Amino acid sequence: MIGKLLQKELKLCLHPTSFLLPLLVALILTPNYPYPVSYFYLCLAVFFICLTGRENHDITYSLTLPVAKADLVTARFLLVMLIEWAQLALAGLFIWLHGILLPQPNAAGMDANLALIGEGFFCFGLFHLVFFPSYYKNVDKVGISFLKGAAALFVLILVEIVLCYALPLYRNILDTPDPLNLGAKLLFCAVGLLFYLSSTWVAWRLSQKRFQQLDIR
Amino acid sequence: MNSILTVKNLCKSYPSFRLDNVSFSLEEGKITGFIGRNGAGKTTTLHSLLSFVHPDSGSIRFWDREYDEHELEIKQRLGFVSAGMSFYAKKKLRQITDVTRPFYHAWNEEAYRKYLSLFSLEEEKTPDALSNGMKIKYMLALALSHGAELLILDEPTSGLDPLSREELLEIFLELANQGKTILFSTHITSDLEKTADNILYLSRGRLLADDSLPGFLAAYRLCEYAEGQVPHEWEGRLIGPGRTKNGFSALLQASERKDFPLPCRQPSLEEIMIHLEKED
Repeated sequence: MIGKLLQKELKLCLHPTSFLLPLLVALILTPNYPYPVSYFYLCLAVFFICLTGRENHDITYSLTLPVAKADLVTARFLLVMLIEWAQLALAGLFIWLHGILLPQPNAAGMDANLALIGEGFFCFGLFHLVFFPSYYKNVDKVGISFLKGAAALFVLILVEIVLCYALPLYRNILDTPDPLNLGAKLLFCAVGLLFYLSSTWVAWRLSQKRFQQLDIR
Repeated sequence: MNSILTVKNLCKSYPSFRLDNVSFSLEEGKITGFIGRNGAGKTTTLHSLLSFVHPDSGSIRFWDREYDEHELEIKQRLGFVSAGMSFYAKKKLRQITDVTRPFYHAWNEEAYRKYLSLFSLEEEKTPDALSNGMKIKYMLALALSHGAELLILDEPTSGLDPLSREELLEIFLELANQGKTILFSTHITSDLEKTADNILYLSRGRLLADDSLPGFLAAYRLCEYAEGQVPHEWEGRLIGPGRTKNGFSALLQASERKDFPLPCRQPSLEEIMIHLEKED
């Protein structure tokens, strides 16, 4: 059933910006840019998916189908994760290209290196944790939920930029060109992945619980 | 007759509204009209049936099965059509159908093609490009193609021109002839006079009547009178008196008709509803 719902998500719920905004990860090829901001654009795409879903009565349509309410939440999470992983794969490609084309340090935060993927995991994990439980508490107020998610995301991005200048772990080890300190960066990615998976799991369960209790009027 | 749907003591409270112990059942192959003014609780009741909203208490059984325990199985046999909703306005009907089809075990492609042709629906069109009547027909085509035995229709004829309404009503009658059960919420009572077998009348969250249409109509008489014409002892027995162009009108229990000194006539469903609402 989840497979059929994912098909529904892909065929009926994807907004055109779901393809365009994640491509802005190409900003990694821009010199001196706060690269984690490109992860925000994907979160904006998630907002547009949920917003157009509301305008298209997606949830009402889905609830008339012979599916469990909780599975609708699962399918939406899978769709978003699919886009996120596609963007992270693209980020990997652009980080590699950046190393070849623009091999100079970034003056606006983290260098374009492997640790940026780890930052992506932290960004998406935090966004899931703030946005989805709020969204599934009231699917009509998608804008409010997005504002909360975006605010949390920008605080995280700001902290990460500050850490690149203030914390030796960031300044001397993570904020360095590849392949320097590759082991530490891989470890950072693994910690990020762990955070991403655990926060997504918490967000998913909380969202299912809240959506189950929600009255659709 | 088999009961397709049995609702018992359904309650749901909102800060400014309460659905109060609503109980009814639907008979197989019958059209049941669900009437009441805007805000009476019709949509809340229908949404409770489909678990869009969670009732505070009460039980809902479809085909003698508890909804909560057999939700997916029940939804395979249900069709829900609402005039107020247009799904995926910019997607082609073909895309919506392609997504919908795999969810239903009993999907009948031949029936789907038949209804597309019968309703003159073009799959390459988007819901945006359809009139309200055509949108309803598309939703009906989807429901009928997966073999829905019970159709729950939320104000399907609202906002349609008289001809489109008539066309839809004919379709409903034909579906009932084929054995489909229809629960049809509306405030356009004339539509029900043409189609309904039974009437559920909801007012301010309470079910005031659950009767056959002839039985419901036969329970009242309408009297029209000028000021001062009604004897004083009858004034308190008139139901929902109100002004008309030529004086006043009010309902009277049909059982009291023979003692009433003024002429009365059979009221329409709309007249009954208006006077009962005034009285309430």
